[in-house]
Amino acid sequence: MGGPATLVITPPEDRGTTAASLVGAVESCLATLERRYSRYLADSLVSTINRAAGGGDFTRLDPESEALLEIADQLWQSSGGLFDITSGVLRKAWRFDAAKAPVDLSQLETLQKKVGWDKVERTSEGVYLPIEGMEIDLGGLVKEYAADCAVRLLRDQGVTSGLIELAGDVATIGCQPSGVPWRVGIRAPQGGEPLGGIALSNAAAATSGNYARTLRFEGRTYGHLLNPQTGWPVEGPTSVTVIGENCLSAGAVSTIACLQSSEAAEAWLSEAGLPWLMISPDAGCSGPLASGGPLASERGLTRP
Amino acid sequence: MNPLRSNSAFLRSLTRTLATLPAYQAAATLADAPPAFTEVGVRYSHYSEDDIDASSVIFGATSRYDIDITQLWIEAPVGASWSVALDVQNDYQTGASPWFVGTDQNGEPGVIMSGASIQDNRVEVGVATRYFWADGNAGLNVSRSDEDDYEALSMAFDASWNTAGNTRTWTTSVSNSRDKVNPTQGVIPVFVSDEALDTQSGYFGVSQILSRTAIVRVGLNYTYSDGYLSDPYKLNDQRPQNHERIALSTGYRHFLIDANASIQFDYRYYADSWGVDSHTVELGWAQHFERTTLTPYFRYYSQREADFFDVVADLTKPHFADDYRLSSYGAMTLGARWAINLGDWTFELEGERYWSDANWGLYDGDSAPALVDFWRGTMAIIWRFD
Repeated sequence: MGGPATLVITPPEDRGTTAASLVGAVESCLATLERRYSRYLADSLVSTINRAAGGGDFTRLDPESEALLEIADQLWQSSGGLFDITSGVLRKAWRFDAAKAPVDLSQLETLQKKVGWDKVERTSEGVYLPIEGMEIDLGGLVKEYAADCAVRLLRDQGVTSGLIELAGDVATIGCQPSGVPWRVGIRAPQGGEPLGGIALSNAAAATSGNYARTLRFEGRTYGHLLNPQTGWPVEGPTSVTVIGENCLSAGAVSTIACLQSSEAAEAWLSEAGLPWLMISPDAGCSGPLASGGPLASERGLTRP
Repeated sequence: MNPLRSNSAFLRSLTRTLATLPAYQAAATLADAPPAFTEVGVRYSHYSEDDIDASSVIFGATSRYDIDITQLWIEAPVGASWSVALDVQNDYQTGASPWFVGTDQNGEPGVIMSGASIQDNRVEVGVATRYFWADGNAGLNVSRSDEDDYEALSMAFDASWNTAGNTRTWTTSVSNSRDKVNPTQGVIPVFVSDEALDTQSGYFGVSQILSRTAIVRVGLNYTYSDGYLSDPYKLNDQRPQNHERIALSTGYRHFLIDANASIQFDYRYYADSWGVDSHTVELGWAQHFERTTLTPYFRYYSQREADFFDVVADLTKPHFADDYRLSSYGAMTLGARWAINLGDWTFELEGERYWSDANWGLYDGDSAPALVDFWRGTMAIIWRFD
């Protein structure tokens, strides 16, 4: 899935399983999800759906992919269209590594016509993208879903102490073998020492950020997250971390927050009601998990 | 309050959709997960038959059976792969029942009732153990039932396992019961003693997840009984010494995401070697709220009479009976279940009303004068803890 992964597990003593067999099972689970949902693999379900765009044929869905698209629909509706799995094509108009002319405006205008979850047709026959060149990208959901699937697999194998991290998103089973909750650091956007740690037990933490790739254009700094309605980069929080019972819920809340202005993101996060930490472009921290916030001591978050 | 439990409309809606994916389903609902908690429960039911219409009675009381059922159980995990359970049930029944059907001076059939002083108490104790593995579980249950006039010892084995990526669950069970019948001499004279009945039963079924919102199941049950099968408290009741039964049951559940509700449809076909066959159709609507689920339901039942049934038993036949339960009739049930979850505690309430009538059935047959209507109410409290 294009990112580093960490797995920490204690094999159960009475199941005859080993750490190696559990790691193998998790790897197999993640590889299966990647084969199904990666837009980089030509024979994945996502690539099959994208190839059929504009051709008139629906692609049949199984219960899992049907549910993931339903979740994408809920996120699209709840975010007022900001979370849109069809918006990935807009990236083609932007060059985050170019010093000059980072955007091709005519291309952007053309690509915007291929964006819009509301244009996607979903029926009992499956899913169909009605415009040639239209694409869906489930990357904003599947990494978190994969972490939850791995947790479920490990629990089913009797694992009562474990942690999985997929490119910054973390899901935990129980506590560490010593009985102490897992301690997860929050990366500082500017790099260096982590901002602090969160104590997690049977919970997940997802972080969405707009700092991994940035560009300066006409005196302003833009992140790589694009607003599907304007085609332009979002000017919002630098990073949002959310804790939830599962990784997908936490990731959905944090991702939608990062697609809004910092003020709107704060309102969204407060309404969602899960513990959160937001880092603004001015490097200020806010939220219940921030130092001095109501959950800072409970969740163990401290500034270094 | 758990800070990870949010009441936001967005997360409630998301959680409902996630619940359709196996990765987010509660472990206890899957065959491969042992209970994570110890569960203690108590359930009380009261069953009350309406008085029989006085115009249908030639002699005796018009009041009928009342039954109080109290059940206590505990189920606990043992290690990572086992669970054990103890179940104790007490039934106390009192009232009158039809003794036989005769004819009045006009030649019309009418019931001679037993009188209102029958009392009986039954105690059943069951112990069960269950083993869980990655894709399934298997259980063994032994139970013993005692009452004044009846003893039963039964043993059952069942197993279920998942295939097709946990979208298909196969279930099978076999059971055996050895019963002893020794009727008490009371207000009704009885003419049998020390009779025995052996019963074997087998079931095989499968449930399949069709989509993220739909599940269907189908199962076949076969039961064979050999021994004393008549009702010793009925005067004119002589049934065959063996009884073969087969039942095909199907069910369909469809979850409606927007309504946060499930449509439930069940159908059962039953046929036996006595010539009885029946159809049961049940429709339910489970409406989920934040902490409660309310499920109103409607059930229709239609039965064809046994070959040896007559409204007034024909004693010249090798087998005969006037028991209304073997007649042709139809029945309707209207009920509702209400389950309330408050953290570690669950409360359940259920009430139903049952009406039966010979004219409501799909099959022809003379009307048995003792057809019954009843109320049934149930309440339960369940506590789960580490």
